[in-house]
Amino acid sequence: MTGLTGSAGCFDAILPYIVTILLISSIYAIFALGLNLEWGFTGLLNFGHVAFFAIGAYTTVLLDLWGCPLVLSIIAGVALAGFFGFLLGIPTLRLRADYLAIVTIGFSEVLRFILLNEEWLTRGPFGVYGFERPFQDVIPYQYYNTFLLILYVAILVAIYASLERLMHSPWGRVLKSIREDESVPSALGKNVFWYKIQSLMLGSAIAGLAGALLAFYLQYVSPATFKPIETFHAWIIIILGGTASNRGTIVGALILWTFFSGTKFISRLVPLESHQMGAFRMIVIGLLLMLLMMYKPEGIFGKKEELALSD
Amino acid sequence: MEILSVKNVKKHFGGVKAVDGCSIRIETGTVMGLIGPNGAGKTTLFNLISGFEKGSGEITFKGMRTDKLPPFKIARCGMVRTFQIPRALSKMTVLENLLLAPKAQHGERIWNVWLRRKSVQMQENTIKEKSREILEFFEISHLEDEYAGALSGGQKKLLEMARAIAIDPSLMMLDEPFAGVNPTLARKITGYIDELREGGMTFFIIEHDIPAITKISDKITVMSEGKVLTEGTPDEIRSNPDVLNVYLGGEG
Repeated sequence: MTGLTGSAGCFDAILPYIVTILLISSIYAIFALGLNLEWGFTGLLNFGHVAFFAIGAYTTVLLDLWGCPLVLSIIAGVALAGFFGFLLGIPTLRLRADYLAIVTIGFSEVLRFILLNEEWLTRGPFGVYGFERPFQDVIPYQYYNTFLLILYVAILVAIYASLERLMHSPWGRVLKSIREDESVPSALGKNVFWYKIQSLMLGSAIAGLAGALLAFYLQYVSPATFKPIETFHAWIIIILGGTASNRGTIVGALILWTFFSGTKFISRLVPLESHQMGAFRMIVIGLLLMLLMMYKPEGIFGKKEELALSD
Repeated sequence: MEILSVKNVKKHFGGVKAVDGCSIRIETGTVMGLIGPNGAGKTTLFNLISGFEKGSGEITFKGMRTDKLPPFKIARCGMVRTFQIPRALSKMTVLENLLLAPKAQHGERIWNVWLRRKSVQMQENTIKEKSREILEFFEISHLEDEYAGALSGGQKKLLEMARAIAIDPSLMMLDEPFAGVNPTLARKITGYIDELREGGMTFFIIEHDIPAITKISDKITVMSEGKVLTEGTPDEIRSNPDVLNVYLGGEG
């Protein structure tokens, strides 16, 4: 009898923890699916993906605070992220791949400093809080995270299904041909530049949506939420899961966040300060990625024949 | 009737005059060969005609000026080219390589994937059927599901030609279709070109294999140092002392 209640109690304690991991994984899975569309399927090197994450989050919560209905705020956040993808694509996507990388990484940092310094608009380093969350008046507080998880997983599944459908359409076929050698689709009459713009816009819009979802989960956003490392979390996720595999991206997100959270548990057993532990985790991740690159460069679900990094 | 007319086209790379005032006319339904020593400017001329490089001069295709258009627009007019080193999309299957080619696919517009699901699917089926016919024509049907990267050099050449045909062009520009191809396969390719020409297609072919090119061409243009040296029927070219001099190096 006591054993049973004991295990139930343990389960009760662990459940919110699991919900948290799944929540953050699903947000990052959506975020990384946007990058996977750009890099995995189109070959676009975006090193500033976090900028679109931030645009989505800030637009949504600020509009909400200014009295805009929540649904419209989210739509505006997604649209604005997509629009900035378009703006950045126009001057860079006719050039070599590395120009997009340089411009996007610069843009993401410029944006973060704008968020820090333009206090009249963004409230600066203190961040934004006190905004509405979806159905917050209807769902009791103790069930709210579970509700968010169901909502986010549903959104994730919808995005995954849409992307899979797109990738198996003639549209996706053109993207894959661009990834490999854009002179071929050009010689076959495809407007390569326009396809790259579309891919960047769509990927950015997806990141924007992930940003809004992150804000609802955290109930707070600040410039520090959107440091460049977030872009590289997305990169780790897609490399881990397998470039050009949407399924792999979702699994990659789950692995990365389980690892991040799991090592927080272990940190109680390891004699390291918390900041040392943070560095230690990145060392372990780096090591794991190097091993992965050496022995399974296509990632967990990637296809070796479609490896975007090889020639 | 002429399908392609090139007038006084020039392209200089720094001090190198790769193409230096070339003029060529090609009649519809004929095979024009293009020969010349290495560095004569043949591939650069191809790049200019297909829009991959921009130079000066006039290029008219089917009565329309194309010298200012980007490559994809020129391709949509019905001109397709292959590359000297075959560019098979090696991370896509052989069939996917062909499916990519056809013009005006509904499913290439992102919203149609949702809004016109039925017509996209129907068109996809038609395209698949047609692509399989082309693969059969080139006798590479059995490789349909292989990644193009797994093909041999000669098979990649065939695949590139097949892909070019899949867009249903009126002018096909082939850059060294016989290079690195064994004699049996070369004869096969010659056969395909003859067959397609009879179907009304026009060809413009760069080739170093003189016996092969004289056999399939109606006319041959000889380039040297960026200029057109001479133009004529294969017999005229074979007996032209200038050609022997620059190209065959006095071998004949």
